[in-house]
Amino acid sequence: MAGANQKGRSALLRISLGWLGLVVLAVAWQLAATAIGKTIFPTFTTSIVAAVRLVTGHILVSDILPSIGRTILGFVISAIVGITAGLIIGYNENARTWTGTLFDFLRSLPTPLLVPIAVVIFGINGHMVIATIVTAAIWPILINTANGTSSIEPTMLDTAKTYGLRGKSLFLRVVLPAASPQIFAGLRIALSVSLVVMVVAEMLGGGSGIGYYISNAQQSFNISGSYGGVIILASLGWIFDSLFLVFERRMLAWQRGTVGGMIDA
Amino acid sequence: MLNPVLDIKNLEVSIRSRDGFVNEVTKNVTLELAEHEFVSVVGPSGCGKTTLLRAASGLRMPSGGKVSFEGKPITEVPQGISIVFQEYNKSLFPWLTIGKNVAMGARAYPNAEKERRVGDALEQVGLKGFATRYPWELSGGMQQRAALARAMVSNPRVLMMDEPFASVDALTRNHLEDVVQSLWTDSRFSVLMVTHDVGEAVYLSDRVFVLSARPSTILAEIKIDLPRPRSQMETRKMLRFVDLQAEVLERVEEAGRNSVGTEADE
Repeated sequence: MAGANQKGRSALLRISLGWLGLVVLAVAWQLAATAIGKTIFPTFTTSIVAAVRLVTGHILVSDILPSIGRTILGFVISAIVGITAGLIIGYNENARTWTGTLFDFLRSLPTPLLVPIAVVIFGINGHMVIATIVTAAIWPILINTANGTSSIEPTMLDTAKTYGLRGKSLFLRVVLPAASPQIFAGLRIALSVSLVVMVVAEMLGGGSGIGYYISNAQQSFNISGSYGGVIILASLGWIFDSLFLVFERRMLAWQRGTVGGMIDA
Repeated sequence: MLNPVLDIKNLEVSIRSRDGFVNEVTKNVTLELAEHEFVSVVGPSGCGKTTLLRAASGLRMPSGGKVSFEGKPITEVPQGISIVFQEYNKSLFPWLTIGKNVAMGARAYPNAEKERRVGDALEQVGLKGFATRYPWELSGGMQQRAALARAMVSNPRVLMMDEPFASVDALTRNHLEDVVQSLWTDSRFSVLMVTHDVGEAVYLSDRVFVLSARPSTILAEIKIDLPRPRSQMETRKMLRFVDLQAEVLERVEEAGRNSVGTEADE
């Protein structure tokens, strides 16, 4: 029991130390901003107050919630299309040969360049933001899924065939779980990409959303407002990633022992 | 032989490499497996034993010849043939518990029957109480026993094993050999085992086939007339065992001498 207790305490200590870094940064920010004393560099507390005001005011409904919705929708579409295509491409060597160069080309396109095109196609609205997210977030998912699928042990596929698994059941019961550690790695990258692209697309032509709000606030000299927006974005990123990790740990619980423990993040 | 369970006739397997070069792996292999017979195939490493087993089980299409199971030519792995692979850690599904892994082999049965069979199979290999564990929680020998339970749960006519005990330590290997032997003694299935361990082949088998180097053909067939039941302590001490082992070993060495310079793919 003492061991378990000690383990619990050291975990608690580790978490506290992790948060301590954040506190140090906040204090340093506060001191520096107070010392400089310029409106273009609001203090930490001013920014926090601005962020709270955004979350409790009408901006929540008009900008923050739409941004969250777009990010999630863009991410989910990327995941569905990326995993499906990745499984097929990873499993089929011919498909890999045919798509390799095309995908290398497409995924090298800088996403912000696609915003003007997306605006022409979809207009200044949420659909444009979602479409832009998909063009960027799909790649880490697709490529990780394809890599995970193509590197499945031949013995594992042989075993599956021995038990009569083919077609859909082969994919769902063997290929997908076998590739899932790599798929999850791709999904996690894609989630943070989704958030970044959401902000960029909204800044360049969203018409609404947290990115749109931040660039608007900055242009109208509402500096503390834009800092508040940045704090909300950072919190969103942290919340998304934390929720994702909880989900991942649940789904990949079986993997814990096979790779000598999951990497803590 | 009258009505063999497995009938391999003039089997030929060629592998086409990436640059289009056709590599003949086995040539003209003929082998019959009677009901409740234990047959081993030994040969120098890289001689195509695994390829032979893959073609014999239906995992790979042969480029020539024919494999029949219960009188019917096979085009895929038929129900009634189970396979145990050397690498249990790549063959057991790591995301499934031991119980669910074993249940994979019993997919054809309704749920209640499946559950009973999984329980029985685990008990037979001495893994009762491990159904809810994951493969990584078990030792190598226990994992291979789980793979064996998965192969046995469907009550197969033929059990094929590819170097089944090559990845465990010597003591565990002896134990696993006896687990297989007692399963086989208590049941009616036939075994086709591929191994490079001559002693193991002699200890377990009714007949041992020696494969030549690539393109491999059957170099010798040696009948193992050791009395059954056999035991590690008693049988391996017998003069007859030592003689037979020496005879098989001699043929394998002979095959190996001709294979110097042949690349190995296994």
